[in-house]
Amino acid sequence: MISIRGCHYRFRGEGDRAAVPVLDDVNIEVADGEFLCVLGPSGCGKTTLLRLLAGLATPTAGDVLIDGTPVTGPGPDRGMVFQDHALLPWADVLTNVAFGLALRNVPRDEREERARRLLDAVGLSGCASYHPRQLSGGMQQRVGLARALAIEPAILLMDEPFGSLDAQTRRALQEDLMRLHLAERKTVVFVTHSVDEAVRLGDRIVLLSPRPARVEAVFDVPLSRPRPPGLDSLPAFVELKRDLWIRLKSQPRATP
Amino acid sequence: MRASTIWRAGVALLLLAAWETVARSAQTLLLPTVSDTMSALARLLMSAAFWSALWISHQALLLGFVSAALIGVPLGLAFGHWPSLGRWVRPHLQIMLVVPTAAVIPLVIMVAGLSLRARGLVVFMFAFPVIAVTAEAGMREANARLLEMARSFGATPAQMMWRVRLPAAWPAVLAGLRLGLARAFSGMVVGELVLMAAGIGGLLMKFQSDFDAASVYAVVAVVVLESVVLMRVVAVAEQRLLGWQDRPAFG
Repeated sequence: MISIRGCHYRFRGEGDRAAVPVLDDVNIEVADGEFLCVLGPSGCGKTTLLRLLAGLATPTAGDVLIDGTPVTGPGPDRGMVFQDHALLPWADVLTNVAFGLALRNVPRDEREERARRLLDAVGLSGCASYHPRQLSGGMQQRVGLARALAIEPAILLMDEPFGSLDAQTRRALQEDLMRLHLAERKTVVFVTHSVDEAVRLGDRIVLLSPRPARVEAVFDVPLSRPRPPGLDSLPAFVELKRDLWIRLKSQPRATP
Repeated sequence: MRASTIWRAGVALLLLAAWETVARSAQTLLLPTVSDTMSALARLLMSAAFWSALWISHQALLLGFVSAALIGVPLGLAFGHWPSLGRWVRPHLQIMLVVPTAAVIPLVIMVAGLSLRARGLVVFMFAFPVIAVTAEAGMREANARLLEMARSFGATPAQMMWRVRLPAAWPAVLAGLRLGLARAFSGMVVGELVLMAAGIGGLLMKFQSDFDAASVYAVVAVVVLESVVLMRVVAVAEQRLLGWQDRPAFG
């Protein structure tokens, strides 16, 4: 259970630059096993919200609680997947996947075995000895996902992980992610600026306002899991997407 | 054989032919023919004096370059890691980079006299700044995203250093060592020509005073050849160590 209560966050001003408020009284609860999508215009503070959850930043005011305990820093209960994959370019795929385990001094045999199992799970069985640069964008992102899953976190934090992929690759990764979520029932907080992606993946969708971000609305996604066939033409899918579009369109432009 | 190799050999042959033609028609003491130079080179390689001169030069090269690497790399990495420290020191490193080192040689003589240590010091002064500056830059520009990733996985400061910062700085360190080696060769010869007539430089001065231009050219050819071979060795080592940088991609 994740609770974000009354969170404010502002970037500290430096010199003659004024402090910039990024989050303004954000309240969100995420149940165990829930897949929550955070949707908002670009630059609104979605990533900042995720960094608070990851323990990479501390709220200026308010609380971030996980199972009632305040977040004070990064922890093994949370695995993060990054927008630009953030793989170590000098290490092969297997070493990258085992990175989090190596930091915790898990013995080599054990961490490599676990890493191989996760490469199987994300569909990269034959790629253990490749280097990140040799992989396509979609494959790099799969490695990033495997690395986050390798530490067996209860919570997966995903920061627009599929944002830079082409439509077809993106769809394939979305489907694999949903399959994995269904099998393991991890809590997922998934940040995206794509309405389609949010409706396709989420149990619930939190819509943020332009910066400073507030929770503008919360939508339940009335679609079963696994998603029914012919999803794209289901009225519930189409209507929710349209509603979200209208809400996003009517938002005032974010201050640059 | 690849086409580029053939072209390269062709250009070299053409230049040699031009050299030979000019030398034959000019008939001057200052420009020996290719064939004279070659036979001088053969004589040189047979003489014990040449090999002992080579060894004397390389003592200074080794001493200067190894100490420049041993001091320059850690120092550069430290400056890069603590930017506030780097901010104070960087201008001085950059000054060292552009100071005409030959001009400081009287100072070297005052400090170390006319000795192997003095020649080593000249080599050091040639190689050190570029090694330290590149190591500093490599460390300073560590990818912020990778550092944040490591932090999110709970890396301790020591783990950040060993598993992210140092591997990220490694390519710059190697590039610095390669540049440093090239500068060390200049330092070696300059030290012997300006500081004291020893080793290869001493040999050069002796042949010059004998008006033996062919031998002068032969000595220069040996130094050039050796530095080219050594640079190639370092480049291959770099390729081996940093193969991840340019492997073919798929997908």
